[in-house]
Amino acid sequence: MTLLLLFNITNGLIVGAFYVLMALGLSLILNLSNVINFAHGGFLVIGGYIAYTITPYVGFWGALLLAPPLTAIIGLVVERVLIRPLYGRDPLYSLLLTFGLAFIIEDGTRFIWGPQGKPVTIPPFLSAPLSNELFFVTGYRLFMVAVVIVAVALLFVLLRYTRLGIRIRAGTLDLETVAALGINVQMLRSLNFAVGIFLAGLSGVLAAGQLGLEPTMGTGLLMPSFIAIIVGGIGSLLGTLIGGLLIGVTSGITAVFFPAASEAVIYVLMAVILLTRPRGLFGEEGMMS
Amino acid sequence: MNVLEINSVSKRFGNLVAVRDVSLTVATGELCAVIGPNGAGKTTFFNLISGFFLPTSGTIIFDGKDITRLATHERVTRGMARTFQITEIFPELTVFENVRIAAEVAGGYRLRPWIARAEMARIHKQVEVTLSLVSLEAKTDRLVGELAHGDQRAAEIAMALALKPHLLLLDEPTAGMGDQETYQITQLIRRLHRDSKYSIVLIEHDMRVVFHLADRICVLDQGRMLAQGTPQEIAANEAVQAAYLGISHDSSTQG
Amino acid sequence: MKDRLTRNWIVLAGIWTVLLLAPYWMAPLGGYTALATRVLVLGLAAMSLNFLLGFTGVLSFGHAAWFGLGAYGAGLTLKYLALSTPLAVIVGMLLGGLCGAVLGALLVRRRGVYFAMVTIAFGQVFYYIAFQWSSLTGGDDGLRGFSRQPIDLGLFKLDISSNAYSFYYFVLFCFAVVVGAMGFILRSPFGRTMIAIRENERRSRFLGIPVERHIWIAFTLSCFFMASAGALYALVNNFADPRGLHYSQSGDFVMMAVMGGMRSFWGPLLGAAVFVVLQDYLSSITVNWMSFVGLLFVLVVLFFPRGLLGFLQRSKA
Repeated sequence: MTLLLLFNITNGLIVGAFYVLMALGLSLILNLSNVINFAHGGFLVIGGYIAYTITPYVGFWGALLLAPPLTAIIGLVVERVLIRPLYGRDPLYSLLLTFGLAFIIEDGTRFIWGPQGKPVTIPPFLSAPLSNELFFVTGYRLFMVAVVIVAVALLFVLLRYTRLGIRIRAGTLDLETVAALGINVQMLRSLNFAVGIFLAGLSGVLAAGQLGLEPTMGTGLLMPSFIAIIVGGIGSLLGTLIGGLLIGVTSGITAVFFPAASEAVIYVLMAVILLTRPRGLFGEEGMMS
Repeated sequence: MNVLEINSVSKRFGNLVAVRDVSLTVATGELCAVIGPNGAGKTTFFNLISGFFLPTSGTIIFDGKDITRLATHERVTRGMARTFQITEIFPELTVFENVRIAAEVAGGYRLRPWIARAEMARIHKQVEVTLSLVSLEAKTDRLVGELAHGDQRAAEIAMALALKPHLLLLDEPTAGMGDQETYQITQLIRRLHRDSKYSIVLIEHDMRVVFHLADRICVLDQGRMLAQGTPQEIAANEAVQAAYLGISHDSSTQG
Repeated sequence: MKDRLTRNWIVLAGIWTVLLLAPYWMAPLGGYTALATRVLVLGLAAMSLNFLLGFTGVLSFGHAAWFGLGAYGAGLTLKYLALSTPLAVIVGMLLGGLCGAVLGALLVRRRGVYFAMVTIAFGQVFYYIAFQWSSLTGGDDGLRGFSRQPIDLGLFKLDISSNAYSFYYFVLFCFAVVVGAMGFILRSPFGRTMIAIRENERRSRFLGIPVERHIWIAFTLSCFFMASAGALYALVNNFADPRGLHYSQSGDFVMMAVMGGMRSFWGPLLGAAVFVVLQDYLSSITVNWMSFVGLLFVLVVLFFPRGLLGFLQRSKA
């Protein structure tokens, strides 16, 4: 029993780590620009497919390093051309736009790469389990968690110690004042968006290795990211982090006792939070400080 | 009878004390002006009175009842009406429609899915009377968003009047206005005070307006009540001069 | 003022004439009655959403949940409760409306994107339930095994089950009732407070309007209207689809409202007509119709945010 529980909790943490990566990107964009990026799953898919396309040339590691920045560049272009005109307007419009964008991306990837799933090869040493006892901890899953930890740490460093990061945090609290200080808010939003998309692209590369690649894989990951943000509290990256892990683990534990409800439980968790603490666990508080 | 009694009210935001221990009494029919340098806490003070925030300590008594913990809309229902420094109106509705909503809410019709023709006619009449009080009767069908600044402020005041208030709170009614518009608004407020006998508290920066209208002046500085009194007393008060009037644009005053 | 009133009456009469004669003018244009019925129902849904979105200014992006609840309510009634179409419609409407009322109470303190996010998430809960509770709802395959029943009006029977024309007029009747209620409420003092909240929430509060309570009422009303549309939709194909609860369906409804013109009462109906026709046409000529629909969203948002009727109104001025 304990082994099963341990298995599911570990699994939950791994899945949770993955949700964290997705949700952090979504959260960054939401906090600064007040945009719900429905297309976030689409960028995940783009990241995965770019990795798939360039792997024959640069190998797995090359793809891991190059696909996220390439996705981020696409994100930059999208932000500049499509989203920037909408900032002054009712948030309704950016919602609809990213919504339509999600359709375009999903269908576009289907068009370019075909509707069938694509196999993705990962280096063999990663797919072997660590030991017979802990058979569930395959190298790749640990690797994914390691990558997520590194990415989150780098994000933390970016936000805490770099000029860009400090401006992003300030802008999230009070964009007007930041603008009044002479900082180029347009560029700030673009770069912030790019960082968020970078994380989505990275998620895509990792997901490809774990789940295989197909055009619809992004949408299934969008909702858990939403819930992670709602549970953790809108406006707080730390909250998003905890939220992601929490829903992963909750889902994992539920899988032991009520397997059929393991997906539904995250919605229940969300409902409980909204009833008892509507602003989320860490809502409306500061950043990762 | 006092329409408003503010007893030692304070407001802190974390470590920042925006309003510190301020007390004020407004008698029925009185016009009291609140002045002070920028950042003195005047708008926060107004926000406390109107229910935008709740005070950290102190009480507010309105018409003899304790309203300290009441929500904004409840204070409005009890007779408190407020205008804002940046005019808050319904820009894409006509002047008439703007004031009508106020009249309907004040008349208790806000939840009604239906209104009888006789009642409708009564509301119309009331709106027309209010609009002529603020001299906007010629512009009833214009969209408020398209009016000149002064007229928008008059429309906002009309909305406040339609609420049949016991107390009018006017937040910098002449903000952003040229001399002509300032004169018009000042005359309007004077009429409301002298002729219609409204109790009024207003925040103002324009000293000409203040001295022209006020029965009493209170001076806030850094969240504290520096002085209270008649215009003559305040003009002669050295502490006030030092804190505020001394740094005004009246360069003939040797401080 | 008198001019505007007469003009409104003429427009209204025009609209109803078009709707009443739809089965007759559609055929020569290559349409068919069932399409008109579908447009009417989806138009009703879009108008119900717009009651909240365009007239109160509240962004609910999960409104398809109430649509779906209405559909399942109607289907389940016909399947398990009683073979009565009117009852099915009423039960569907009540199911969606009451759930909306309860949920609305949880949500009204939030605004803007937070509100939108939470409505999306909650909408997905219902989608998820419909998907998983397959013993009741038929799961992924949807709810089948029911069909709309002829209506016995005493004097004569309205055969809405096999006669497309009769069914269209039945739907039109329900449409008229709901739309009539909508219009009635919007013209009332309460309706004016809704518009006030949309125009300037702070000012509304400072006029003594308890904003949260009014938003909750508007939300609940729109859920009832939406659910009635859903119930009718289940009757169109005798089928209730879990996809009808998905947020992408919500997005479609929002798009219909925006495309037609959010600030106008009839705009969403027009938007629904255009959207349905366009989507049907696109899916018949290309397998990549999804990207075209997405492109439509993008283009409308960037270039026609005021929608068709908004566009026309502006060029008149």
